[in-house]
Amino acid sequence: MQYELKTQIIEPLRPTFDHLVARYGNKPATRYQEGTIDLQPTENFHYRPTYSPEYELYDPNYSAFKLTDPYSFLDPRQYYYTPYVTNRAQMHEAFGKTLDYVADHNLFGRTPEAWKRLIGEIVIPLRHYEAGCQMLFSGAARFAWGATIAQCCTFEGFDRIGNAQLISRVGITLGEQTAGVLNAAKQSWMEAPAWQPLRRYIEEALVEPDWAVGVVAVDLVDKLLDTLIYRHLDEEAIVGGAGAYSLLAQHVGTWYAEHRKWLDTLYKAWLADPELAGANAAAFSAAVSAWLPKAADAVGALAQHADTIVDTGAAAGLEARVAQVKAEYEALGLTVS
Amino acid sequence: MTTNPTKPVKKLSMQQRYSALTRDIDWTPSYVTEDQLYPHTTYEGIKIHDWSKWDDPFRLTVDAYYRYQAEKDKRLYAVLDGFAQGQGHLTLSDPAYLNAMKIFLGGVTPLEYQANRHFSYLARHFNGPGPRFAAQCQSVDELRHAQTEIHTLSNYNKYYSGMHNFAKMHDRVWYLSVPKSYFDDALSAGPFEFLIAIGFSFEYLLTNLLFVPFMSGASFNGDLPTMTFGFSAQSDESRHMTLGLEAIKFLLEQDEANVPIVQEWVDKWFWRGYRVTAIIAMMLDYMLPRPVMSWKESFELYFEQQMLNGLFPDLAYYGIRPPKGVEQAIWEKEHLSHLVYHTFYQFSHAANLTTSIPTKEHQAWLASAYPDAFEQFYKPKWDKLEKMAAEGNRYFYPGLPQLCQVCQVPMLFTEHGDPTKLCQRHSEFKGEHFNFCSDHCKEIFDREPEKYVQAWLPVHQIYLGNCGGPTIPDVLAWYGYAEGDSGEMLGNVDHNNWKKWHAQVDDSVGGRESVEVGGAAEAGKGA
Amino acid sequence: MAMTETRPVSVDLQENEENRAVIEAIEADNEDLTIRHVPGLVKLQAPGRLVIKRESVEERLGRTWETHEFQMAIVTLSGHITEWDEDQIVLSWGHPERD
Repeated sequence: MQYELKTQIIEPLRPTFDHLVARYGNKPATRYQEGTIDLQPTENFHYRPTYSPEYELYDPNYSAFKLTDPYSFLDPRQYYYTPYVTNRAQMHEAFGKTLDYVADHNLFGRTPEAWKRLIGEIVIPLRHYEAGCQMLFSGAARFAWGATIAQCCTFEGFDRIGNAQLISRVGITLGEQTAGVLNAAKQSWMEAPAWQPLRRYIEEALVEPDWAVGVVAVDLVDKLLDTLIYRHLDEEAIVGGAGAYSLLAQHVGTWYAEHRKWLDTLYKAWLADPELAGANAAAFSAAVSAWLPKAADAVGALAQHADTIVDTGAAAGLEARVAQVKAEYEALGLTVS
Repeated sequence: MTTNPTKPVKKLSMQQRYSALTRDIDWTPSYVTEDQLYPHTTYEGIKIHDWSKWDDPFRLTVDAYYRYQAEKDKRLYAVLDGFAQGQGHLTLSDPAYLNAMKIFLGGVTPLEYQANRHFSYLARHFNGPGPRFAAQCQSVDELRHAQTEIHTLSNYNKYYSGMHNFAKMHDRVWYLSVPKSYFDDALSAGPFEFLIAIGFSFEYLLTNLLFVPFMSGASFNGDLPTMTFGFSAQSDESRHMTLGLEAIKFLLEQDEANVPIVQEWVDKWFWRGYRVTAIIAMMLDYMLPRPVMSWKESFELYFEQQMLNGLFPDLAYYGIRPPKGVEQAIWEKEHLSHLVYHTFYQFSHAANLTTSIPTKEHQAWLASAYPDAFEQFYKPKWDKLEKMAAEGNRYFYPGLPQLCQVCQVPMLFTEHGDPTKLCQRHSEFKGEHFNFCSDHCKEIFDREPEKYVQAWLPVHQIYLGNCGGPTIPDVLAWYGYAEGDSGEMLGNVDHNNWKKWHAQVDDSVGGRESVEVGGAAEAGKGA
Repeated sequence: MAMTETRPVSVDLQENEENRAVIEAIEADNEDLTIRHVPGLVKLQAPGRLVIKRESVEERLGRTWETHEFQMAIVTLSGHITEWDEDQIVLSWGHPERD
């Protein structure tokens, strides 16, 4: 076979690009590394941005959270574009099949009325929150320093608009293929007292000038929402005869578990930085201290409202989770007041 | 409760589904003001009254996006893997072909990456959910393009010079400041100007010139992976073109006061982008060993016919005329590639690519593609340089070129209408003197001098001592060049290796023909 | 608006086995089509309007085909996408030319 002959006789002159050899040694690099590491321009910028002339086009000073070497953070999932879209294509396809199943078997028609109300009032309005998260992570994708962090933020932003669409599709099915449930959910998001703390929270997080503080802030809410919406209510729905909810929520719940991987790795990188760990810990402690009480109030208001529709002990469960979240950050070495 | 468990449920139409999934998730903030939430969409003077009027003909939703993109990448990477495993690089028409891809990797790929970052900025900062979502899709697409290009060219980098250090080269190398400063110019502008600069003026007006004829040329020269990534990227590009077109129509329809602002941007960004495409002209005409379509023909087809005669009559309805520099660009189509390659020939000792006198066959093709210009103006120059090379005196320019303050191309362009007279324009600003290659670059400077005085001009920076040291070898070391990256092509590392490898393969398997395996045989067919 | 618009619109498609049915469907559904082949690519140009019909593609493909799949085939286009729904995609120019 020519193929075997030729692979034997032509030796590559170099295994990969210089910057990867410099970092990882004289060996072939992964596609994640080749497509990510050192890709962001770092020097010789031509013009100052007109929207923030105090900074360069790419500038570590867009945030108080810094890494001496931004590539000390790597996405543990090693997502570059292809594995990312391949994974998400499977996720959305699986969700679509579940949704078809739920619709074809009219599972929402067989769901207790109170649970349908709970899904419509507590879950569906989250599509707006997810849309807000899209904006927040897209902003972070622009202003983060280093291509590994920016890439995670790019994908996270796209994930969030995807989540908003998944939740919307649940709403369309719950509304029997009309926009009725979506419209009511939007009204709740805009006006219902239970939703106002969370809406205020995401609007304020979006105007936070430090992209990393914004990321930390929404992650506090995410941790609590994950517990409330995708663990606690999921479990209770099965017990309460609303299995359709559980079938659908598992897809978003699985995503919430997966996205922790890159965030937790980033947190560790900030706090393990050889030169900047102390400054990062101070900024991190300040951000968690400032935003955690508001996050607890915002998600707490939802839990309390959920309990008025179907009493699952959501509010009490959430209080315990808030204490746990605080402890998690303290275990990282932060001081949370 | 009575239900029919198998009753099929009616699906929403594509339009209704799109609207429910992308538009309705937006809301008007009340805990912060709209100005706080979207602080960057007022300072450019663009007036938007109704963001919901933005139309997206593709009506794409996230699930469909993932499905089709995953499928596209499955096909693309199958081609890349097959090519790499079969030593496909040996089936290229000639190693000189890869000089074009060295420019591509250092000059274009980093821009794709920057587009990823800045379309994310639009996906954050536009007030309307329609354009935000379109920008979001484009942002991830651009990341795809950067990565598929790197992964495609990574295989060539293992065997050939000039690509091994592309990211640093993009930030440092003199001629790569042309594309870099172009994109930095767009990134540093406001969100609407960026949208017109990149979304419309580049993606719509000019991108075809790179991605369509050049990729066809890649195919014709045995580079199946590049053709595949190029056309695969272009399948996203049709969405981007639609965004660009939608963008300009949207701005023009929203308020009459937007029209003169947009016109100025169209004028500026056509010329900015067009000057970058000078490099593409050279790639098409001089760097494809088997040429396919000349710059002139590409420009006529993809710009004059499709844009000037197709699009611009539509835009006239809104009061937009073709960009100011168009007449000069049309005139220059006869001359552009020759002038640029002639310059690169003399400066390739300082570039990450090699050059050589075009072969007799190639010159014959150039003469047929440019019957009114090549033999009259450019063949004599090549004859002279060829004579010098034959006498052992291969010419390299001994100094540094003067650069245009705006486009940063060396001052190689001629007066509009006279191919024998070099063009030079000047402006004074705050007591300093600045040079330009053309009236249009001068106009761009005079409109925003505070911006263009900031330019990081490679030659000035070398003189200022910011580029590794005072001598050419110091600077080249700072660029990160290695042996074989630069200079004359004949006798160069790539050229010698190519001969050696082919001799090995030929000896082993009995002849040149048997090298043509797999997909690259496609290109052979067309020869 | 009564004026007939004849400025050409076009699509360039990658010329490969997967796109064969789409190319043939466009040829069948558009009169006065100009077809040009360059390596790897086919350029289909029509005066004023060009339509891609789902049913025609499906007939040739022997399977269901969503109009969204057109994105897999297209390399570039000239003209506006004035319609894109479940059944067809239409390219044309948005405004009549003023002489």
